[in-house]
Amino acid sequence: MTKFSKSLGSAVALTAVLALTATACGDDGSGSGDEGKGKGTITFWDNNGGPRTAVWTEIIKDFEKKNPDIKVKYVPIPIADVQSKYDTAISGGGLPDVGGVGTAYLANIVAQNALEPVGDRIAKSALNGKLVEATVASVKVAGGKGDEMYSVPTSVNNGTLWYRTDLFTAAGLEAPSTWAKFYTAAEKLTDAKNNKFGFTIRGGAGSVAPALDAAYGQSGITDFWNGDKTTVNDPKNAAALGKYVGLFKKTTPSADLNNDFTKMVAQWDTGTIGMLSHNLGSYQDHEKALKGKFAGIPNPIGDGGTRVQVSNPVDGLGLFKASKNKAAAWKFIEFAASHAENSKWNESAGAIPANTEAAKDSWITEAEPTKLAAAALTDGSTKVVQLPYYLPDWNSISKADNEPEFQKLLLGKVTAQAFLDKIAKELNAAQAEWKQQNKS
Amino acid sequence: MTAALAEKHGTDAPAADDTPRRPPTRRTKRERAFDDVPRWQIYVPLGLYLIFTLIPFYWMLLFAFRPAGSTSLVPWPMTLDHFSKVWNERSFGIFFQNSMIVGVATLVATTLVALSGGYALARFDFRIKKGFMLGLLCSQFIPGALMLVPLFEIFKNLQLINSLGSVIIAETVFQLPLSIILISGFIKNVPVSLEEAAWVDGCGRFRAFCAVVLPLLRPGLIAVGSFAFVHSWNHFLFALMFLSEQDKQTIPVGLNTLIGADSVDLGALAAGGVVAAVPVVIVFAFIQKWLVTGFSAGAVKG
Repeated sequence: MTKFSKSLGSAVALTAVLALTATACGDDGSGSGDEGKGKGTITFWDNNGGPRTAVWTEIIKDFEKKNPDIKVKYVPIPIADVQSKYDTAISGGGLPDVGGVGTAYLANIVAQNALEPVGDRIAKSALNGKLVEATVASVKVAGGKGDEMYSVPTSVNNGTLWYRTDLFTAAGLEAPSTWAKFYTAAEKLTDAKNNKFGFTIRGGAGSVAPALDAAYGQSGITDFWNGDKTTVNDPKNAAALGKYVGLFKKTTPSADLNNDFTKMVAQWDTGTIGMLSHNLGSYQDHEKALKGKFAGIPNPIGDGGTRVQVSNPVDGLGLFKASKNKAAAWKFIEFAASHAENSKWNESAGAIPANTEAAKDSWITEAEPTKLAAAALTDGSTKVVQLPYYLPDWNSISKADNEPEFQKLLLGKVTAQAFLDKIAKELNAAQAEWKQQNKS
Repeated sequence: MTAALAEKHGTDAPAADDTPRRPPTRRTKRERAFDDVPRWQIYVPLGLYLIFTLIPFYWMLLFAFRPAGSTSLVPWPMTLDHFSKVWNERSFGIFFQNSMIVGVATLVATTLVALSGGYALARFDFRIKKGFMLGLLCSQFIPGALMLVPLFEIFKNLQLINSLGSVIIAETVFQLPLSIILISGFIKNVPVSLEEAAWVDGCGRFRAFCAVVLPLLRPGLIAVGSFAFVHSWNHFLFALMFLSEQDKQTIPVGLNTLIGADSVDLGALAAGGVVAAVPVVIVFAFIQKWLVTGFSAGAVKG
């Protein structure tokens, strides 16, 4: 062996050892913490920092006025990186006392034993019986620990079909309240030569959940699981999805292939596209760009006469186990989830409140898309297919692992059935693993 | 001959000129071939490339200066509302200041340490020199994300979490290997005899280095320093992970907070992008000449 090879070998080995050693350290963030004296400073991480900073600043101001002994240190975290920020803090320490936690990644944090169960605290607090039952159920399912709750729900979003009322009126079309009307409108509003399209499909980041929404919405299948096997690759879903992705390039811009929600919403707000499937969160953007020219309705009704949609993530506030001041932290959570503050927050976000009293406030009836979404979730007219947010692998299955596959589907390189079969195989394995881990 | 040239170029040069002239330099075959190419064949592709490169910047400026809701393709009527929003409401003034502190401190620390390390590698022979160089190269293969948790632990133990010091140290550490290799290449290009002459004149090693070697390293120092500044200015991950207070955050983290879960304020995002781009553009405008020289010289003459 030459001198050079020896040196190279040593250097590579040293690098590997250092890297492995370094990554092996850390604690699991599951320290038991302390109740504290109910006063002092607490840290709050906002999981959608930036867009919600103004309203949180106001809520914190209200809270500090009411609780002069407690100071809240507000930290805005960019939504795209919140999970990695939590993961790093769980591994290395430095978790906040309170954090915004969505059901999309709740299971991951619960699995790392970083969150305090809050069921008992809710039962003993003013929030008892004041939380919308559907959001409570979602949080319980997403936590993956039976009936225990690991976050206090504050808000729920809902899939919304946004459409341009001016274009629909000009074309003599009815609102796309059924899937049949949706497909007709998509076709009639398309004039590709003049850069006019009926629909914009999400082909980039976050494409899988809307695709499943369209599949279940049309097929009418209402359960995600049939025993231990997922229904995701049911032939009815495959046929529905095939029809939906068939719109790509025919009634949608070809640039949709790489569109995440940001580009999709920007494209819809600034162009001449008839319909957009997103959620209530983009309401304010549409208001700014298309005031008076658009409307939003819940997902179209299927051929069976029932609206079926997949569940949307529920946002909430989690109390971290490592907190040294849990009493003060809980006071803040209780306050933020109370009627007035929850109403204020959701009005600002254009979302549906998780507080039952806030959900009856007048601003909801004035915001038509929010009102319709709230009604769809509560009046029994809509069947909600519960996505398995509780699976720690759900995020990777529904995002990184299969978003490139969805692009292949759009390009016609795989069939809808093959795409769904792959997802089903991964989901069934993840479910079996999860069940195995939670056997006790 | 002169008259013929004058006629060819349409000038009024006198036929005879008494002033002595330098003989014309011989042009290479390649230069002559370049002269024969019609100018449009050079400028049109370059112009197209320039337009292609500048379109994203134009788009950013368009959204930054155009009123919200406008679909105009020119930023008129112009508004500064988005800048006002990001600077005042979204704390970009503070983020800018923090990024500047991190960028300048990383630049200074990286340059100073790289100078020392590069000098040692260039001028001294020691047993594990090759292995050390390989180690520096290998360290480039380790992604920053892999080191997050251990660095987090170290900074936590040093009470540096939530301090700009943690980001400055981490950025410097990740900049150093490449910087040391580059500076070492530069120093090797400076003949040792120059330093020896200074020693003969009574200088010590440090003074000889400062008086003789350092002035010759200007392109290298500018290349390394600017690279360190720009990289730390743009780097997102360490600032996101090590800083958990709003008034400590930097521009890249601030920019990311402009993208919400379900909505994005494109005007504010573009204005934030302009604020983030300005220092980088200024840095490159001033140092581009030395930057290219610096990187090419340091890279190939190791």
